[in-house]
Amino acid sequence: MKMGDQMRRMEKETVNFTVNGRQYQLTIEPWLTLAEVLRDYLDLTGTKVSCGVGECGACTVLVDGKPTLSCCTLAITVRDKNILTIEGLAKDGLHPIQKAFVDCGAIQCGFCTPGMILMTKALLDENPHPTREEAKEFLAGNLCRCTGYVKIIDAVMAAAEAISEGGSR
Amino acid sequence: MSQKFAIVGRRLAQADTPIKATGAARYAADIKLPRMLVGKVLRSPYPHAKIKRIDKSKAENLPGVEAVITLEDTPKIPYASSFRDLPMAPSGSLQRSDEYILADKARYVGDAVAAVAAVDERVAEEALRLIEVEYEELPFAVHPRDAIKPGVPRIHDYAENNIAVRVGYPLAEGDVEKGFQESDVVVEETFSVTKQVSGHLETQTTIASVDPTGKVTCYSPCQLPFPLRRELAKAFNLPEGMINVVSPFVGGSFGARLSVYNEPIAIALAMKTHRPVKIEYTMEENFTCVHTRTADEYTVKMGFKKDGTLHSMYMKVLTWSGAYLGRAQLAGAITLVWGMGHYRCPNRAGECEIVYCNTTPSAAMRGYGNPEVMWGVEQVVDMAAEKLGMNPLELRLKNIRKTGEPSNFGLPIESSYLEDCIKSGAVRMGWKEKWGKKRAGRRGVGMATMTHCSGAYPLLMEHSGAIVKFNEDGSVNLTINPGSPGTHIWGALSQIAAEELGVYPEDVHVVTGETDKTLFDLGSHASRSTYVAGNAVLEASKEARKQLLERAAKMLDVSPEELEVGDRRVYVRSAPERGISVTEVVRSAMWDLKGECLNIAGKSSFASRWTSPPTAAYFAEVEVDTETGEVKVLKFITAVDCGTAINPMTVEGQCEGGIQQGIGYALTEDFVVNRETGVLESDNFTTYKMLGTLDMPETEIIIINKPDPKGPFGAKGVGEPATVGVAPAIANAIYDAVGVRITDLPITPEKVLRALKEKQSR
Repeated sequence: MKMGDQMRRMEKETVNFTVNGRQYQLTIEPWLTLAEVLRDYLDLTGTKVSCGVGECGACTVLVDGKPTLSCCTLAITVRDKNILTIEGLAKDGLHPIQKAFVDCGAIQCGFCTPGMILMTKALLDENPHPTREEAKEFLAGNLCRCTGYVKIIDAVMAAAEAISEGGSR
Repeated sequence: MSQKFAIVGRRLAQADTPIKATGAARYAADIKLPRMLVGKVLRSPYPHAKIKRIDKSKAENLPGVEAVITLEDTPKIPYASSFRDLPMAPSGSLQRSDEYILADKARYVGDAVAAVAAVDERVAEEALRLIEVEYEELPFAVHPRDAIKPGVPRIHDYAENNIAVRVGYPLAEGDVEKGFQESDVVVEETFSVTKQVSGHLETQTTIASVDPTGKVTCYSPCQLPFPLRRELAKAFNLPEGMINVVSPFVGGSFGARLSVYNEPIAIALAMKTHRPVKIEYTMEENFTCVHTRTADEYTVKMGFKKDGTLHSMYMKVLTWSGAYLGRAQLAGAITLVWGMGHYRCPNRAGECEIVYCNTTPSAAMRGYGNPEVMWGVEQVVDMAAEKLGMNPLELRLKNIRKTGEPSNFGLPIESSYLEDCIKSGAVRMGWKEKWGKKRAGRRGVGMATMTHCSGAYPLLMEHSGAIVKFNEDGSVNLTINPGSPGTHIWGALSQIAAEELGVYPEDVHVVTGETDKTLFDLGSHASRSTYVAGNAVLEASKEARKQLLERAAKMLDVSPEELEVGDRRVYVRSAPERGISVTEVVRSAMWDLKGECLNIAGKSSFASRWTSPPTAAYFAEVEVDTETGEVKVLKFITAVDCGTAINPMTVEGQCEGGIQQGIGYALTEDFVVNRETGVLESDNFTTYKMLGTLDMPETEIIIINKPDPKGPFGAKGVGEPATVGVAPAIANAIYDAVGVRITDLPITPEKVLRALKEKQSR
């Protein structure tokens, strides 16, 4: 009860940020996580929440290009930043990373997929030609329970190749 | 020997994956209905307690709270969270209804005591804190060995000494005692396995809504939509037609979604508030309340003749059911079926006790008793091989059951290529060069094998319906409902339909996901959907194909027997240039101006009267650090006989995921319940360690790919086999590396170090 009262007394704050190229101004409760705002306020439900405490990586989004756990990030802390969610990746048809995940059989239930794909984007932006070991290390914080990661790493390698052969980024 | 196929056997991307890749696929938590409320469940903090009084008035008065319910607000009809009356063949109902929607007494930490519906999550959570419950704590037992001790109060009134049920091995043969006397080498060992959790990333989430006519819509990730509908109908005393179970995308199943969880609570809240209610478990709830793999303690005794012939086998199993039976009742019995049905043996007997204790209920997880019991059986085989002075690979080859012999389920084996699995896996692993060589670097290799099922017949009547319907443009709607388990089953079924109908996979559009709109299907379990639903799709497609050819025959002025269909074209077999497009045939039948109109379509209700057992051999190479006790799996090979691989890419995907779960089961995943408090301590991904990218070894999947006579285009199941023999292969490899045998899961560094020390001191 006390906690609820305190929360209600906290004033809403106005924040500006860009999500998938679109600017938003929102007046929100300061305790809301970025994942909650994306999912509940902007209806961008491609961002998945699984563990809720930063252990699994499913909620990963890119904030100014940097992988960020949206379930553990308060929305008011990403003021004026550029956020990319899974919905913002495909332009004309699937992004090469998305296509590689589809073609390589890297998606089973699909719940870890948005986080995995955005991590892969961050990896390939930083290191366009990773080795399999480097890819594994970069994705080590993202859990998948279906695939054993084999085809996910296959997809990362295939995406790297497709992008370097002239696909869009 | 393989048939030539146009579509079957191709490595096709799955039609439902692009929307998973773009984030557009909607899982239950992503669905928002107008005026929807958030439901939350109050859970018992005690492992065993009488509920003396519940005062919900303060919670009810909190602004934003729309309903607070306890057992008294529900129909109070006992139900079974793993379904009271699946179509059992031939013995009828087996499952006891031993629980209510909300608990009459708290039986584990996490038992559902009351529930609220409120305008948002924070109000709902606050309301839970305002519900006052007076408990009277009772003595409890979190381990079955403690639960059966005298003096521990009954967890359920009917179960004396907390033993829920005792079952014998239904396929017992011969005289085991005499058999052991006649044996030259007898090995007996006791094993234990822990409760593995499914670990699916999407927590259990359900939405219920009730329309003004009283019709209930329930969005549920359940793998068995039709049995769920029936259980809900019974629990609320509703006609089944008044409930529509809708399956959204599901974030992983692995057997855990074979149970009923928050569905009835959401429905009760929706009925009370006349608004939709969503209940989304937290991950802590998911760990604590979602049913697990059974834990067991068991003894395996095997007697062999000098030449390695298995002569007698006995097993005694204690199965850990948890607070409610879940599916442990059947899982315990089937443990014996898996354990003693894998090898040929004239004398077999066994018994199993299924015991209640004050923990999370056990139910199904990938393999359903088979990984649990092969953990022991496959180690005893290695132990016997050592005593016999035989290579364990040769000992297995000598005793495996072959095509035509009785299967683990007592039916003739339709096909078994286990010998191919063993031999091909051994070559790839370099078994001859590596096994038994006491190599430098504390490296060793080990193997295991298994036999599973493609559907649970004759334990269950495996029935699937399918409708194949041509559209005016020649495309096909394929209506199926094997649940939505997060596998690639829809794709496999589409490939089967496309193959038979002579169209392309992209021509087949899957219609699924609502019990209102689909034919009955028992659902996804027991590695049965490719095999049983696949056969239903094949039968329905055959019917549609027959109609297609009959219509085309009239148009081409030939007999239907002379026709073939492929590449979207019906043509004369002897003169392939004479033909007509599928689209033309379909449209002319649909729009026949003479009035002989026909929507070319097939419908099938397929009941499987067989279960072609998939088989597999597993090979592990490990390195053991004798300073730390740490085991590293360097390489893992699975050679699988799943009949024809409808889509080899997805077979590999299943097997690779199975290796991941199997290594977790072997080495890192431990369900730790505090014996003093009854609290689950491993209730998150930090304390319950599942494998990440860096923990995976090099893997190789060998698909034998020989057709089964009963499966659709020769296919058998593969989902569960992927994980069954992983852990014992690793245990046997550890023995090969450092000469110690670990019998209780998981194989932690502490256990390895202790065993190494004991070995030194001997």
